[in-house]
Amino acid sequence: MTPVDEIAVRMGEIAVSSAPGEVLLSIGLGSCIGLALVDQRRGIAGLAHVMLPEAVAEGGPAGKFADRAVPELVARMAALGTSRTALRAVIVGGAQMFTLGGGAGSALDIGVRNESAVRAALATERIPVVASATGGARGRTIRVFPGGAVLSKEAGGAEIELMPGVRA
Amino acid sequence: MTALSSLQLDALRELANIGSGTAGTALSQLLGRSVDISVPNAVVLPLAEAVEAVGPAEQEVTGVAIPLAGDMDAVVLLVFPVDDGGTLCAMLGVEAGTADAISALGEIGNILAASYIGSLGAMTGLDLDLTPPQTVTDMLAAIVASVLATRAAGTDTALILDSELRVEGEECSLSFLLLPEPGGVREILARMGVEA
Repeated sequence: MTPVDEIAVRMGEIAVSSAPGEVLLSIGLGSCIGLALVDQRRGIAGLAHVMLPEAVAEGGPAGKFADRAVPELVARMAALGTSRTALRAVIVGGAQMFTLGGGAGSALDIGVRNESAVRAALATERIPVVASATGGARGRTIRVFPGGAVLSKEAGGAEIELMPGVRA
Repeated sequence: MTALSSLQLDALRELANIGSGTAGTALSQLLGRSVDISVPNAVVLPLAEAVEAVGPAEQEVTGVAIPLAGDMDAVVLLVFPVDDGGTLCAMLGVEAGTADAISALGEIGNILAASYIGSLGAMTGLDLDLTPPQTVTDMLAAIVASVLATRAAGTDTALILDSELRVEGEECSLSFLLLPEPGGVREILARMGVEA
């Protein structure tokens, strides 16, 4: 195998790549969502590590909130030369590790809310979700290759190929 | 949360020092063994850097999360490397990996958090209660990020008060984290007379 450069996409971050040999990676998604957008024909991929559904204030990391992360990721992909109609989405994460909503009436499951917010924002952008590994109670890791492959691995499980494609 | 001054961080570190000292004593009494306590860290970090400050993202750990109720919104999170959690259970005569082990680790978390939070309450005059512990074994990043996400809506940084307890003569250590919501941090600092 050719060596790959891992680009860690941490909480609230967004990264895009069109470089063969790179892989975008978010380790240990719990209630967070790893949103991958892929343009397989052009070999361009992006990954956003979304923490929460909706922005409550201006500013902050671009990938933190689903409602801002999706348009931002689409814009960064466009800057690398994708066309919106070529984009396909893969969603990983959104588990419920704990029930720590806290506060009156907010026994909230952030993972589920994150997933629906990401799906709603993608629908607004008319980007189809072609695969997902979401919900449940286990953490997951996502790997996204510019060549188009998207892989997911649950804690203690085997790596699965959510979207087949070139692993480079 | 805006940046904290070094005076404020020192004050928080001192609180963590006394809190973890009390928690270490409780652990020592529980096990009948000596327990070493590290000098705590008090750091304010961008959310993206918060996970790696606690440990390697992919490491399999057992996390015991205990949300606080009362005058301060915060979560206490104990993080054991999986094998160390097993060692701890064995010292208590509980078989690792069983349902009993999960409940034993939750109970240890409860006892340590009660000691830590008790001394924090005594020093600050804050009325603090524990809610029941929740125990999960998973990747460290998934556990820490999921706890932080519950308090992260209005802040782009995390305050982490981190102490390490180590049982002497055993491969057994745990991290004790206090993750307060920004309003909680202001409350603590106000009580200690080191407001911004």
